[in-house]
Amino acid sequence: MRSVESNIYNKENIKVREGKKRKDPEKVTGIIFVIPLMIFITVFTFFPAIYSFVISLFHYDPFFHSIYFVGISNYVNVVKDPAFLIALINVLIYTAVVVTIQTFLAFGYALLFNTASRISRIARAIVFIPAVVSPVSMSIIFIWVFSNTGLVNYILSFFGIPPHNWLFSTRYAFPAIMAMNIFTTAPYFMIVYSAGLQSIPQEVMDAAKIDGLKSGLRRFRYIYFPLMRFSTILVVILGLTGAMQLFDQIYVITDGGPARATYVPLMYIYNRTFVYIGDIGLAAAASFVLFVIILVLTITQRKVITERRW
Amino acid sequence: MFKSGRIKKNINVGEAAKTYLIYAISIILAIVYLVPFYWTVIKAFRNSIFANFPPNMDPLSQTSISYFITNLRTVWGFGDFPLWYFNSVFVSICVVAGSVFVGMLAGYAFARLRFPGRDYLFYAVLATLMIPFPVISIASYVFMLDLNWLSTYQGLILPQIASALDVFIMRQYFLTIPEEVELAAKIDGMRPWQIFFRVSAPMAKPAIAAATIFSFIGSWNNFLWPLMEVHSLNMFTLPLVLNFFKGANGTQIYWNQMMTVNILTMIPTIVIFIVFEKYFISGISMNYYR
Repeated sequence: MRSVESNIYNKENIKVREGKKRKDPEKVTGIIFVIPLMIFITVFTFFPAIYSFVISLFHYDPFFHSIYFVGISNYVNVVKDPAFLIALINVLIYTAVVVTIQTFLAFGYALLFNTASRISRIARAIVFIPAVVSPVSMSIIFIWVFSNTGLVNYILSFFGIPPHNWLFSTRYAFPAIMAMNIFTTAPYFMIVYSAGLQSIPQEVMDAAKIDGLKSGLRRFRYIYFPLMRFSTILVVILGLTGAMQLFDQIYVITDGGPARATYVPLMYIYNRTFVYIGDIGLAAAASFVLFVIILVLTITQRKVITERRW
Repeated sequence: MFKSGRIKKNINVGEAAKTYLIYAISIILAIVYLVPFYWTVIKAFRNSIFANFPPNMDPLSQTSISYFITNLRTVWGFGDFPLWYFNSVFVSICVVAGSVFVGMLAGYAFARLRFPGRDYLFYAVLATLMIPFPVISIASYVFMLDLNWLSTYQGLILPQIASALDVFIMRQYFLTIPEEVELAAKIDGMRPWQIFFRVSAPMAKPAIAAATIFSFIGSWNNFLWPLMEVHSLNMFTLPLVLNFFKGANGTQIYWNQMMTVNILTMIPTIVIFIVFEKYFISGISMNYYR
């Protein structure tokens, strides 16, 4: 990232009309310009973050106004709660599968569409559409795709495989949702890779050809892989934080079922607040645990990918 | 943006075959991605509420524009549908206006103005990236409850305005504007805020476009926050309506009407994407390759 340095006003040879004694108008303007943003991120991001930690230390029932301090017992209860553990294990499996496959797919799509032709441009725009459509809309469509009268069963019927009610099976419901999310998020990350591929200078490719790196595999190994490292860090980290926050699709399609096969932490947090009403402190503790896990994963991920030599 | 010279003019037969293979795969992939949307559209033009097996993929069989108009009428008369549509439009426009304006001012200040504590404040903006909204949504919900802002426009809109993304897009763009332009205005005796409003901001149209698209789509598609914030039917936004409509008739989804609602929900984002595709993609690269 470029540093925050470039600035035209600190060049001393430029005389500002105001003279030296008046307050520097640049300072005043600068501060006034950032104040709105600072108010918004303080009130609606930093404050809720701290507030959620505070709430997690209390038994808090907003509907009956019962509030009392319980210390870390909410955390103990959350960590002991089998429902939360199932949710956590589910989302970790989900993240591992989805992030791995979508990263490879995204890179594949980006390579495929890395030509200047009109066909590629149009095809890429079409493939990108699921990434701009709301997850709820996609979920509704995929309820049909995976229903027993849907697209997947239709395709499988050509191979003589009998229809299956994918979303109502404890075994297949979660893989179905994984498949759907890989389908919709891979195109999004494709754009990140596309932008990265564009930044490879043509000279590098020409040099590679002269050096005899003709086969696709070796070009992949020696050119794309090292140059795409930064893009990969981005795609993996963004994919990871996104996957850990899986909620919309689960809520709309399966509501965590069948038999908690698709239960995820945000679903747990939502249910603890709005379904089994009574203790928001517990939900806040669960979201704080999730927050810490996401943070740790992001930081370690970044370390692993930047330090490894390809 | 995506002009790349990978394809040479003098290509031999092998290269040509490879190019056609790439085109073929591209087209197949595009078709795979279109099929779910294709069925969505043809289902909205049908009369039957059921999704039969095998799916009828023929666009001319059992479809008619009059069926679609009937479906539209039914959906438009469902509950307070016009009001819900208005809610979505209104909330998204306010979020876009707020976050783009706030992001523009701050982005400019971080790119061009020197003031005490600037770097620390910028790190604070960076730090917000580490706090994903869903994990603080519970506290935001309690906060709205304390303020008595549940099921209100301000409760829906204000928490969505703080957007580090818009700040980065704007800052990045202002850094690319040549300093000489502003220097000239400065020598002419303009104040920093005059330079911003008269010189720099009008030059930042591509960044404004990119930021607008991102915040519009983010807000239009937002589901978790309205789900927590809105507890009364008259404040519903479209993603909530979709989910509500899905369960409106028990376990049977009325597929033709469902898909009509779905089309009405998807159309604004898809249209915006198609019209502003170039800003969309440059916005993503502006953001991540800084």
